[in-house]
Amino acid sequence: MPEYKGMVQPVRATDDEMRKIHIEPVPDEQKPEKALEFLDQIRKKFRSFVMAMESCTKCGQCAENCHTYLGTRDPNNIPTNRAELIRKIYKRYFTLEGRWFGKLVGAEDINLDVIEQWYSYFYQCSQCRRCAHVCPFGIDTCEVTFIGRQLLHWLGITPKLHASVGAAMEKVGNHTGLPKPGIVDTLEFMSEEIMDEFGVEVEFPVDKPESDIMYIPSSADFLLNPYTLMGAGMFFTYIGANWTIPSTVTEAGNFGLLFDQYYTQRGNVMRLLNAAQELGIKKIVWGECGHGWRAAKMYIPSLADRPVRWPITHIHDEIADMIRKNELKLDPNKNSNPVTLHDPCNYVRACGLNENMRTIIRKVTVDFREMSPNGENNFCCGGGSAILFDDPEMYQRRILLSSKKAEQVRATGVGKDGNGILCAPCSICKAQLYPMVEEHELGVEVKGLVDLVGKALVWK
Amino acid sequence: MKLLIGQILPYITVTLFTLGILYRLGRWAGARIIHNITLSPWLDTNGQVAVRIGSEAFLFRNLFKFDIGLWAGAFLMHFALLNILGGHIVGFGLLGEQFALIPGLGISPELSKEMSDLLGTVFGILLFVALLYLLYRRVAMEKVKLVTKTSDNLWLIYLLVLVGVGNIMRLFHPFHVEYELVRDYIVALALFQPVVNMELLNNGFFLVHYLLVQILLIVFPFSKLMHLFGMFAERWIVNRVYKDPAPGLPNVDVAAARKAGLGLPSGDAVEGGM
Amino acid sequence: MPVIVVNGVGIELDEDGFIIDPDLWNADVANAFAASEGISQLTEDHWKVINYLRDYFKQYHIAPMIRKLCEETGCSLQYIYELFPSGPAKGACKIAGLPKPTGCV
Repeated sequence: MPEYKGMVQPVRATDDEMRKIHIEPVPDEQKPEKALEFLDQIRKKFRSFVMAMESCTKCGQCAENCHTYLGTRDPNNIPTNRAELIRKIYKRYFTLEGRWFGKLVGAEDINLDVIEQWYSYFYQCSQCRRCAHVCPFGIDTCEVTFIGRQLLHWLGITPKLHASVGAAMEKVGNHTGLPKPGIVDTLEFMSEEIMDEFGVEVEFPVDKPESDIMYIPSSADFLLNPYTLMGAGMFFTYIGANWTIPSTVTEAGNFGLLFDQYYTQRGNVMRLLNAAQELGIKKIVWGECGHGWRAAKMYIPSLADRPVRWPITHIHDEIADMIRKNELKLDPNKNSNPVTLHDPCNYVRACGLNENMRTIIRKVTVDFREMSPNGENNFCCGGGSAILFDDPEMYQRRILLSSKKAEQVRATGVGKDGNGILCAPCSICKAQLYPMVEEHELGVEVKGLVDLVGKALVWK
Repeated sequence: MKLLIGQILPYITVTLFTLGILYRLGRWAGARIIHNITLSPWLDTNGQVAVRIGSEAFLFRNLFKFDIGLWAGAFLMHFALLNILGGHIVGFGLLGEQFALIPGLGISPELSKEMSDLLGTVFGILLFVALLYLLYRRVAMEKVKLVTKTSDNLWLIYLLVLVGVGNIMRLFHPFHVEYELVRDYIVALALFQPVVNMELLNNGFFLVHYLLVQILLIVFPFSKLMHLFGMFAERWIVNRVYKDPAPGLPNVDVAAARKAGLGLPSGDAVEGGM
Repeated sequence: MPVIVVNGVGIELDEDGFIIDPDLWNADVANAFAASEGISQLTEDHWKVINYLRDYFKQYHIAPMIRKLCEETGCSLQYIYELFPSGPAKGACKIAGLPKPTGCV
């Protein structure tokens, strides 16, 4: 049962599943001691973590700004308290203050219960960085839960979802376990669909040597978000690009960022660079995926094991640029339903996509309504950092975590007549919101942004 | 007691305070900024970074944006504190005649002294009130109470006592401290001369105030008060210049592609006859 | 680890009730899954969907896109929900003995 002393917890990977992703689980009785050892190693490396441990004044500003706390009202889900779960140990063992004054300053001895607390609460954090955005000092709780999850991973505690994604990525090059024949078959099917629906001939070249552009789609687009991939295909065809999708990396996401930056995230970066090298491409264009885009844009420079010869941009950057240059003929009337935009956290607080998304959506829809707050102030969908667990307990939690988002969408009124569109251009957001818009009865359909672009292109 | 607080402890305090801060800063510098975690929207120039960090540090921009009540309390507290610290240095150093030194205003030394007194009194009371309000938030407001540790409240109480004693010396004449006495005492300390018999140390309130300050300075480097420096270190991680790589796709000519009718079924393209 | 017993043999399932080893699947297993999903009788249409999923999975080691499933079997998504109340993934794929898909799905 995914619960430990009253705390909800995601289903965890079995010992064998951990071994598949190169981790030998630490036996329970050794976990506290090992956790301290790992914590001591890692704290000396990351200043972002040290500062989060050592400069919070507990002003409380983060509390009402965290969708997880707003949805659950569990005090441990207040960002600074979530960080405190590890800070109390850090203080006790690594600061004079904690060694001298102990409980008075909130220092605590480590034990297995503390580690189980980490597992429960660090996987309720969406790593959306809204707390960093509102903190007077800019303290980033995301850095704390990144490291907390890394420690848990080294101890052998990782959600089954994340572990199986790590294993699938290593085996086939995407999270959903889609092998090349499946990729090709799905893309051929999409070409047929595009022909049927839009009357346009679009080919999806896979592993085409000497292509100029390597497009990295989210693998969820093959199963769940076909219009996003179809939209990208139509866009590249429309502009006459020499592009290809590499069958070895059909994955914009990189769950390594979310549970194992040391090995999994780095490994995925190498895989990408290998594909770029083999295909002889000139530029990498990223598909719709929030955390994956952050991992690519902000982490490849510090994780790559060789000079990165290929500029990497997001498909939204490119589309927006062409819109500004007036190169695309778009008909907004093809998307006439009321639309609101959910800003994926990683796009707006970590990747600066804020304006480009708006440049695009204003040109491809007629009735666009901002939700409030929006842009870098936006709240997370509640699924951020892939806490998309669907065992019954965690699924209930997801409904709570998305309640702030539901309130925001409702306030825009786009779903009033049941024909609204909630544009959420990120695979995690989409996967979270597909069921959540039903749970909260929002009257909207969830779509990507490239979906709307594909639809609005005027071909003649 | 006078020997300990007035003569010996100050040297220990200064040493521990300095070494402690160096230790903490060194500890932070030892860890590195590994990945680029700057917050977007990006800042384009170092000038913008300076404005951003400055407005957070001196105006408490984020508090103002997201919690006006907290902003009012925190800003008032820190602003008053800054003025009082400045007042201690300038006021004692120049015997309250600092305003007379500003050229062109024509302020007499007597008037300057009165202004100095008045400002000190006002900021002393403001600081006390602001601290009380912050303490009130910690005990009465649910969201702040939930994040508060015992030590957070103790710090506020400690400061209230420290400031309270200072205010007593300012507000009640019998306990008043003459500027000259303080200046002479500090000068003597700095010259490593004996100070035990100086008149200043006969004031009980002064001794208490002075002891509390020294304990605070000793603990400062090992406590949450280090957020004074921590805030700059943290901001320097999350607010920095970032330049987006230029968009633009290689070998793409949209006009030519549209002219060729790419994507249009072959029959169609001919019919279209662009 | 949960288990479903079919003809006296226990078959291992994951926490969400999906089969762990797809090779252990057979028609009896499908019937047992259907019963646990509250489907009293697997009709011809059920089998059309199940068989398509099995064939696709055998060929591509993955479940087909939902749109493709609808098109190839001629069942609308709504009809699939009528056949399999838990939906195409959690209902149909589970009964057809496909492992649970991972990732952002």
